[in-house]
Amino acid sequence: MVDRVEPQRVVRATPQQLKELRTLTVAVIHPDDSDGRQLTQQLQRIGCKVQAFWPPVQSIGKEMDVVFLAVRPEIINLNMDWAQADDAPTVIAVVNYENPTIVELVLGLEAKAVLPSPVRSFGLLSTLVLARESHKVNRALARRLKKVEAKLLGVRHIADAKAVLMKTHQVSETEAYDVIRDQAMAKRTTTEEVARAIVEAHELLSLSLPSRHSRAE
Amino acid sequence: MVDRDPVRVGVLFSATGVTSTIGLSQLHGALLAIDEINEAGGINGRELVPVQYDPQSNPQRYAQLAEQLIVQDKVNVIFGCYMSSSRKAVIPVIEKWNRLLFYPTLYEGFEYSANVIYTGAAPNQNSVQLAEFMTANFGARVYLIGSDYIYPYESNRIMGELVMQRQGSEKLAERYVALDATEKDFAEIMVDVRNKRPDFIFSTVVGDSTAALYRAYADAGFDPKVLPIGSLTTSEAEISQMEKGLATGHYTSAPYFQSIDSAANQRCLQSLRRRMGESCVPNLCWEASYFQMHIFANAMRQSHSDEIADLLPEVLGSEFDAPQGRVRIDPTNHHTCLYPRIGRVNAESQFTIVRQARRSVFPDPYLVTHSLGDWAARLDTLES
Repeated sequence: MVDRVEPQRVVRATPQQLKELRTLTVAVIHPDDSDGRQLTQQLQRIGCKVQAFWPPVQSIGKEMDVVFLAVRPEIINLNMDWAQADDAPTVIAVVNYENPTIVELVLGLEAKAVLPSPVRSFGLLSTLVLARESHKVNRALARRLKKVEAKLLGVRHIADAKAVLMKTHQVSETEAYDVIRDQAMAKRTTTEEVARAIVEAHELLSLSLPSRHSRAE
Repeated sequence: MVDRDPVRVGVLFSATGVTSTIGLSQLHGALLAIDEINEAGGINGRELVPVQYDPQSNPQRYAQLAEQLIVQDKVNVIFGCYMSSSRKAVIPVIEKWNRLLFYPTLYEGFEYSANVIYTGAAPNQNSVQLAEFMTANFGARVYLIGSDYIYPYESNRIMGELVMQRQGSEKLAERYVALDATEKDFAEIMVDVRNKRPDFIFSTVVGDSTAALYRAYADAGFDPKVLPIGSLTTSEAEISQMEKGLATGHYTSAPYFQSIDSAANQRCLQSLRRRMGESCVPNLCWEASYFQMHIFANAMRQSHSDEIADLLPEVLGSEFDAPQGRVRIDPTNHHTCLYPRIGRVNAESQFTIVRQARRSVFPDPYLVTHSLGDWAARLDTLES
């Protein structure tokens, strides 16, 4: 008899976020003062590749995984659109004021964590890991939501297409669906695509009927 | 006018409590260095005077006494701490008053305080070498036993990950015992060891309970030739608390063993015996405690002040011919370049050194993922 008992997972596996620390490229957009130096030096101890920028840059290289950004009153008027891009790096705000103006800026940057000034070496690693993880989870959720929305739209198209076929060809719902599926197979595409084509064609044909009151795009 | 006032420094090692054996040896290491420094004319003619207290292996006492040393005794530099819990208790005090702590103990890494100098090994200076040696010679099925606190948790994570890089590896168990565990606690674990039949045991048991672990192992009748214990914390001091021969055949990874055959080590051991007789058992933490005091004294000879702002620049980057070899304080992370070694306990309760680093290994306290076969971790074979 083969012993099929799985090896005991008594020892914890190291989380991916921790394993990846040494592969991170980090931008530190911060004045070259004691906070800025403390920040870059601690990131280097942790083993990240660090590049420091000041004055603030208005675009960020694709290779940056994380940006530490000194959120100061003087950056209010700068173009920080890079922070909202789909593939934006994880933003961690370094703040020395906590008034609503600054907090609003931090929110606008979609920062995943805040580091208060004066910067201490202790706590930076946890902040970095947590911000990266929360950013990753957010991005995964957004991607999933997009997929689910597309799927939902597809399902609606199929329902509409079935209704069109049932009305115009006097077939049952099951038969209508089989027509759609056969078409999808023959054209090597998805049932959602075929359904959309049917609905669009039907709308187009309806236009040529006398009772037109809408225009196709 | 030349300053002739004595230089008072704080010394915080536990002379009582569960880690008193190693604590006393660290105290002896510090006092030996102070003796030598004073015999050589002190620090620019100023006598070095230790102000010492016994924190009784209790983290709260460490914090209280650190504060007392700074506020009442007006010291600027403190030498001390063994367990991570004691260091963590002292650091907030040291940082609040902006003083300097020299910490002569191996620990689990992931720390940097601008107010601390770390002179014991980081995991990349002892764990990697031990994993490499044990898995290459005995196999990769490991049983982890440790004391119940942070150092064993993190050491076991590292060891588990290293071992898993070998083919046929398996982590059979991860067991923790109280700091005051007795042989009975380990006897039960040995039953499990017998059932699971690991290739080796990795021990991060510290303090007085170490002897109980080795006793339970021997009572269970295991053979170190086929199932040895590998450790980072079982030093000559812990072995001196055991019956003779109890630890024979087991392995420890450390930058220092009493048996190192170098002129610097022999000189240091002679100096110790002349001053303190046979009462002190030299070990890795004793050595770190010894050489860090000399590093401090040399730095202060340059800075003429023990204020952290003046002293630290002289400490960082400084080198010293320690008993283990020429060590250096790394300026970027405040840890120390050390010489990893693997020792096997022999019949005289000393270590026969079987592997040894040719060059010192740079400390990397923030390394998450260690790799077997890392060229920097490779050791020379002295004996197989």
